[in-house]
Amino acid sequence: MAEMKQHTDAHAGGHHGGHTEEHFREKHLMLDPLPRGQMNDMVMESMTEPPTWRYWTVFAILSVIVAYGLFYSWGKMIVEGLGIAGVNRPAYWGIFLVNTVFWIGISHAGTFISAILRVFKAEFRRPFTRAAELMTTFGLVQAGFSIFMHMGRVWLAYWLMPYPNERMLWPNMHSPLSWDLLAITTYLLSSTMYLFLPLIPDVAMARDKSTGWRKTLYKTLALGFRGTEGEWAHLRNAMNIFAFAIIPVMFSVHTIVSWDFAAATRPGWNSTIFGPYFVVGALHSGMGAVIVVLAIIRATMKHMKYFIRPEHFDAIGKLMLIISMAWAYFFFNDYMVQWYGGDKWTKQLLHFHEAGPMGWMWFAMLIFNIAIPWAILWNPKWRSTPWLVSIVGILINFGMWFERYIIIPVSLTINRMPFTWRMYTPGVEIPLGIGTLAFFALLYMAASKLIPLIPVWEVQEGQMAHKLTKYGRETVVTVSELE
Amino acid sequence: MATVTDLKITELKLSEAEGGKWGMVIDQDICTGCQACVAACAMENNVSFVGDVDSGYGRSMHWIRIERFWEGEYPEVKMTPNQPMMCQQCGSATCEPVCPAFATVHSQAEQLNLQVYNRCVGTRYCANNCPYQVRSFNWRDYERPEPLPNQLNPDVTVRTRGVMEKCTFCIQRIHKAQDNAKAEGREVVDGEFTTACAQACPASAITFGRVDDSESLVSQLIKHGHGVKHLEELGTLPNVTYFKGG
Amino acid sequence: MAEVVDLLAVFPDLEPAANAIENLRSIGVHDDCMNIISGIPVTEAMLGRPNAWSNVPRIAVGGSILGFGVGYFLAFVAPYLYPYPIQVGTQAYVPGPPSVVVLFEMTMLGMLLSTFLGVFLDSYFPNYRPMKYVAEISDGKIAILVECSHVDEKKITDTLKKSGAESVNPAEAQHL
Repeated sequence: MAEMKQHTDAHAGGHHGGHTEEHFREKHLMLDPLPRGQMNDMVMESMTEPPTWRYWTVFAILSVIVAYGLFYSWGKMIVEGLGIAGVNRPAYWGIFLVNTVFWIGISHAGTFISAILRVFKAEFRRPFTRAAELMTTFGLVQAGFSIFMHMGRVWLAYWLMPYPNERMLWPNMHSPLSWDLLAITTYLLSSTMYLFLPLIPDVAMARDKSTGWRKTLYKTLALGFRGTEGEWAHLRNAMNIFAFAIIPVMFSVHTIVSWDFAAATRPGWNSTIFGPYFVVGALHSGMGAVIVVLAIIRATMKHMKYFIRPEHFDAIGKLMLIISMAWAYFFFNDYMVQWYGGDKWTKQLLHFHEAGPMGWMWFAMLIFNIAIPWAILWNPKWRSTPWLVSIVGILINFGMWFERYIIIPVSLTINRMPFTWRMYTPGVEIPLGIGTLAFFALLYMAASKLIPLIPVWEVQEGQMAHKLTKYGRETVVTVSELE
Repeated sequence: MATVTDLKITELKLSEAEGGKWGMVIDQDICTGCQACVAACAMENNVSFVGDVDSGYGRSMHWIRIERFWEGEYPEVKMTPNQPMMCQQCGSATCEPVCPAFATVHSQAEQLNLQVYNRCVGTRYCANNCPYQVRSFNWRDYERPEPLPNQLNPDVTVRTRGVMEKCTFCIQRIHKAQDNAKAEGREVVDGEFTTACAQACPASAITFGRVDDSESLVSQLIKHGHGVKHLEELGTLPNVTYFKGG
Repeated sequence: MAEVVDLLAVFPDLEPAANAIENLRSIGVHDDCMNIISGIPVTEAMLGRPNAWSNVPRIAVGGSILGFGVGYFLAFVAPYLYPYPIQVGTQAYVPGPPSVVVLFEMTMLGMLLSTFLGVFLDSYFPNYRPMKYVAEISDGKIAILVECSHVDEKKITDTLKKSGAESVNPAEAQHL
């Protein structure tokens, strides 16, 4: 490598044809290999490092919020009825459903990163597939909470499950809610399994490097994995099947969620484009959330600056920009056709969206989902800056939450019976919603101390595949296909 | 080979066949908006008393409501005819397919839209998908102080919180009339019974009966006047006909 | 019949391990008697080994057929099990497009559950019995496990050492 360095030095100031190896190492995790043992130790340390007082403070605050916002408030609502929430006629669905759609949206990012990017061999995915996949599982837990909260008689929720019963009365498969139940169950189970499979080699590593209760935990989770040829082959096969099969499942989940609205006979809802529009919206908020989580992990956990680098923010930033454009396209398509249709109720509704009391939300949605991402993410420097893209990510999540709020309670306000028009004011939905957010963060914080957040073996595999190659005067990164 | 015209004819026949069994005619021109039907319905069907706060927030639980509209800006306000609105007992109800628990289903015998209270889990999808917005949800367990429980109608289930409910065309009265007729070995006669709202209406603005019997009063009224059915363009095949401005 | 040789050799890297496998083969150790243990996935081709057999795809196909069956039951059979089939809207007892949704979801669920289960079945998970293993493997070493009954132990040990093994020890089953 000495010659190469000389070579670039000789041309310094002339042209940018050659970068030094140091430059590449610093920039790309995949070109910055460390001995396997050292990397394992780093990941182990990041999780076993005793939590700081800040961690415990946040943990305690979140626990209190969860205890009050989620469990106490929900219990109170079960005892007293949905009356303490803000739902009314005509806004029969309120923030509960907004949050359900929101959390399912968040969960799409994990699958997008760990399945679609895996299938397309996007190498930058490697260090954060697990961090994203954890969001999928934990996000779906919150979605489940939100949808069960919304039920009038949640204690009878099992009636929606298909199970043999005395009367042989099975769930109504005509209902989009029944498809929802099947789809979300499928998605929750498969994303949890897909989280677990690539985790096995990492917990096996953690088992070899830990003592005490952690040893017992990892030993149990590792299931006796050693890394024999057979075990790897089965795992590889399974992960391959999962990566391909979970993609249509993911698309189906949010499409079906959109059908809850699109299948209804309501102005503003009955739109054929809702399926892809919702899927893209889900990815929009999901990507925004991933980047926030990565920035937090990177800032707070030990050694994470090695694994998660500006290049990753840059790559996700690009995805965010593309998805933002796609969202804008679908939004405009939906809006344009509804507007042109000229149906008097739809017209009324569109006017209400923009000029009604919640008009500020409609405009904020457009600013957060389109204007701000476009203004910032086009610049590679800006989108590689963790704090800046995190702010964009947070704003996108506000924007997407607003979008669902406009689609659900705001659109429900307007229907074909003007006598029933009435505004919706949230009640106990607010502590409940904050409770789900806190519970998500709490689960994530606990997981960051219990399981390796970085899929070490995948990073190692990637580093094995990357090389610097010289073509003429230029040094470039090349990737070989090892699988 | 079927031509395009043939297809249209089949479609028409289909909707005739789904014309329903029980129907109602409401003459808005003679409705005074006195709310007697609303009160009678609540008594007959054990509808809860929601109270002013919840009612003001859009949680009133009337199975029938009088919609009042006006035209123009104050003080140049002109009232339009009152519009009693209740479940239209659609032949092709949008509320039915969306319930995941089969809690709202179509009665093939009576051609009515049933609500099975004890099967309802409270997803409220049916209410969202009802274009007429006539479904009421039990947001809470509303108090029924003594001696009000004494006037509960034993023929009608008292609903609990978390359950959807709506107008049934007083199906308990339909069944009672059918049982009486059967015991006496005859058919139910038109006008032998009616719904609580129709019975209570001092102006006789509401008429209830068999729409599939061309001799019945409702059928005669429908044939006679130029009634409209609300939101018929949605294909819901409603069974309530409104007369206005005639 | 010679005593069964049961050795665990640890190699620092891919190259010496691949050489060792070749050398072992040349002294008559059959491929079936070797197993490679590694902390990151090392493909069979890299080590010049025959492809490992996996039943996972077959189990997945089986699972998707089962899942399809469950979906078929829910969509096509279940509506008729209630004594009086229930009509909703003007839809048929078995609606067309919604049945596709049910079939799809249940097929995918069956496929993915069985894929997951397939890994457990094929790898004998969970397995908490003592096994032949050394912890260095998770730090990047590659181990060759030789269980051979027809070649002399010393000969095998020598070959392994000559190929660059860091250590060659009798394999001992231990609690992981």
